[in-house]
Amino acid sequence: MNAATREKPFSLAKSRRTIQWLVVIGTIVLGLRHIMPGEASRGGSFDSFCAFGGIETLLPYLFSGHTLKSTNLLNFSVLLGTLGVSLVAGRAFCGWLCPLGAMQDFITDWTRNISGEARHIRGKESKSLLPLRLPASIDRPLRYAKYLVLALVLFASLYAAFPPLREFCPVRAFFGLKMTTLLWLTLVVFLAGSTLVERFWCKYFCPLGATLAIFNKISPVRLVADSHRCNNCGRCDIECSMGIEDVPGKLSDPECIRCLECLETCTRDNALALRVLKT
Amino acid sequence: MKIHPRYYPAIIIAAYVVFLLLGILLGFGPERGGEGHGRGALMQLACLTLESLA
Repeated sequence: MNAATREKPFSLAKSRRTIQWLVVIGTIVLGLRHIMPGEASRGGSFDSFCAFGGIETLLPYLFSGHTLKSTNLLNFSVLLGTLGVSLVAGRAFCGWLCPLGAMQDFITDWTRNISGEARHIRGKESKSLLPLRLPASIDRPLRYAKYLVLALVLFASLYAAFPPLREFCPVRAFFGLKMTTLLWLTLVVFLAGSTLVERFWCKYFCPLGATLAIFNKISPVRLVADSHRCNNCGRCDIECSMGIEDVPGKLSDPECIRCLECLETCTRDNALALRVLKT
Repeated sequence: MKIHPRYYPAIIIAAYVVFLLLGILLGFGPERGGEGHGRGALMQLACLTLESLA
């Protein structure tokens, strides 16, 4: 197809940023509501709006019929909403609707800006010092840490009174507005990690991401690459915030957060396309 | 079937809202008091049905 007749692409990146800002503002409002007097009597704590809280309290609820303290039944609905997105479109929740993912993207934009890249040119290798790309020998094994975190949290939830990750949760540290020493420490580690490595928490430690990863293999709405049209230019690899190498060959990779930056970046008509199944 | 990327945000938001509402309709809704709740009415009914079937 002639490039001149090519349909002007809809800006996925802009709509994603808009949704991310709305999610962050919504989470800040939840945090503010959380510190208002009498909040507990008005229908649940900050934790009860957390999708991962649903996972943390699932086993205690199944075995004892009661949720952990600071969580309630609403956690299961929020978890169901998150699983619904994943059932339809894989880890799209991580790429589009997670407040923590959004904060990490904002931090990356900021660090790129202050470390030598005044304006990011899509598909072009960044000249900024930050964020770093960890060597594969460190990056690959560290990616399994999130599955370990998930297993530990599930095990600990059987014996815990409160959600096990509560005092180490970056969402609470960022938006909860009720800080403890451990949450301050979590916030510092999260900020430092996200400044140094893009999507630091998602790549290495997020147990919710670990849970949703499996859906990338089964979700009907997926990216499909046409090997005849793709010229392996590598623009999508450069833009991948999760650091996936050879993106066109790994579109169902568990690490993919379905942000569609690869699709937005691709300059070849229909080399990458969004499809329902592979039909 | 190919999907235009402009519909992607609407698809994921719709999926989230539909499943969230489904959860609330199943009885997993916000409750006063905030923490440590037992099973909702619908879940209790489901559990009793399963127990009686067993």
